[in-house]
Amino acid sequence: MATIELIDLKKNYGAIPAVKGVDLSVADGEFIVLVGPSGCGKSTLLRMVAGLESVTSGRIEIGGRDVVKAEPAERDIAMVFQNYALYPHMTVRKNLEYGLRNRRVKNEEITRRVQEAAAMLEIGPMLDRKPRELSGGQRQRVAMGRALVREPAAFLFDEPLSNLDAKLRVQMRVEIRRLQRRLKTTSLYVTHDQLEAMTLADRLVVMNGGLVEQVGTPVEVYERPATVFVAGFIGSPPMNLIDLDYLRAQSAGTDLALPNGTDLVGIRPDDMVLIGPVEPSIALKATVELLEPVGGESHLHIRLAGSNQLAIVRVPGRPSFVEGSEISVFARIGDLHPYNRASGNRTD
Amino acid sequence: MVENRPLLNFLSHLLLILGVAVVVFPVYVAFIASTHGPNDFLSGVVPLWPGPHLLENYSQMLTTGLSSSGAPPLLPMMWNSLIMAVGVAVGKISISILSAFAIVYFRFPFRTLAFWMIFITLMLPVEVRIVPTFQVVASLGMLNNYGGLIVPLIASATATFLFRQFFLTVPDELMEAARVDGAGPLKFFWDILLPLSRTNIAALFIILFVLGWNQYLWPLLITTDPHLYTVVMGIKRMAAVADAEPRWNIVMAAVMLAALPPVLVIVAMQRLFVKGLTETEK
Repeated sequence: MATIELIDLKKNYGAIPAVKGVDLSVADGEFIVLVGPSGCGKSTLLRMVAGLESVTSGRIEIGGRDVVKAEPAERDIAMVFQNYALYPHMTVRKNLEYGLRNRRVKNEEITRRVQEAAAMLEIGPMLDRKPRELSGGQRQRVAMGRALVREPAAFLFDEPLSNLDAKLRVQMRVEIRRLQRRLKTTSLYVTHDQLEAMTLADRLVVMNGGLVEQVGTPVEVYERPATVFVAGFIGSPPMNLIDLDYLRAQSAGTDLALPNGTDLVGIRPDDMVLIGPVEPSIALKATVELLEPVGGESHLHIRLAGSNQLAIVRVPGRPSFVEGSEISVFARIGDLHPYNRASGNRTD
Repeated sequence: MVENRPLLNFLSHLLLILGVAVVVFPVYVAFIASTHGPNDFLSGVVPLWPGPHLLENYSQMLTTGLSSSGAPPLLPMMWNSLIMAVGVAVGKISISILSAFAIVYFRFPFRTLAFWMIFITLMLPVEVRIVPTFQVVASLGMLNNYGGLIVPLIASATATFLFRQFFLTVPDELMEAARVDGAGPLKFFWDILLPLSRTNIAALFIILFVLGWNQYLWPLLITTDPHLYTVVMGIKRMAAVADAEPRWNIVMAAVMLAALPPVLVIVAMQRLFVKGLTETEK
């Protein structure tokens, strides 16, 4: 167990910067999820912490120790890979033992830890099988077990669930969370799946273009996205971003109570309603473009009247709308997220 | 093909059988010849049915040999061939797997150049560089010993290339997992890469063993001491006698015996061999 400090961490591939200076401090036992689109540098960042990528500049401290020059094995971390990376010619037991044997852990200790991990992950009956005889979910468990037996200072997860089918993914997600809560091992977890990010994280780190856009608890990030990018990235369907000028023109006379410098306003699809609320609100006329039923709710794609602005409204159930019909949508003034387009930042 | 056409079936089987016959018939004739007496070939008609001298011919060949043509008994020659074939196969595999490991997993200056240098030697088989190689071996005092027989044949671009291609298909994560697990480069090689290459090694061993066993020109050049003759060149010596008919029955017995070890190796390792050529364990 340990803290992790990243100080102005940078990575260039030749002349191309992949990570452009990241500062992050992870508390002991905290579960941090790095989330962002492909190519945002989140995996590179994780691999730098693991020691699998060299560091161009900056510092990495694990448990207060500078590890920039240390080999992966000397960093006291364990990593779970996307494609599991189990040794195909070794049995599950050997796979679990390998890292311990290399560290010259005593035999009784190895047996104890393997048994413990096997019990925790329910892979006991598979200990003498080879990885190719296991299903994807079982391999994932073994990969976790290999990290677990090491009892490391930190777990590093590199998109560990993306090779699993949807159902298994949910199941493993819950399991990872449960295990981490129980072991209280500091964890860094990379994913591009925002649902995974929201449900697993103590704190979320949203990355884009090699930089950190926002750090915060999932609820904070969802309720107050710090930048236009985060607003558009976190939340499904994504937040609607509408020009302030358009809103002003449509809701003349209503005080929008937005800070200076705002020229773009975000409204979550959940915050748009079809029946005008009692509180101060804005009303927008729109045309129905498409209705997407997704089960218990539906996503109503609309085009705002007199513009090319598209928006999505989340409505409960499966309402009947004719495509092309004219409707009105409402949003509470208090639910508006104000942004500045040029800086990309929140203005309140 | 899923269609069932009797004529096509018949024709394709006929063709296959003919092909097999063309390959097998000479072997059969050699075997028949090895069971006859020494004078049965002077008539000019090649016998096609086994004769009565099978055991006699083989035991003479194995123990006393053909002293008249300066060839030692077959058993020591086969022993020499075995040492040479195993030496060449093991040497080639060890060197090439290590060079492939270096080329794939280490970033050193001129790495690509090194690979292409190795690759280019494919264009220079032993026969092309035989005179300079002989000069080098002679200067090193390795004429007439096993070292001279084996060492010059050990470098293998083909095997290096094969191992390189195989290593490139091994996922990088495996190496990274090993690094996190505390395995250094050599430990990774020994614990993970080598076991994964098992079937490839077996396939290559067979090919290289047969190659080493069948070497003719190089042993002929490098050995003048009968104690070091290999069996393939020994056969040539027996067949080439001055002012007399070669004793074909004995020569053919030697041929049959010389063909046996490669067959045994292939039969013994064929399961691994096929696996090594067709599938990878990942």
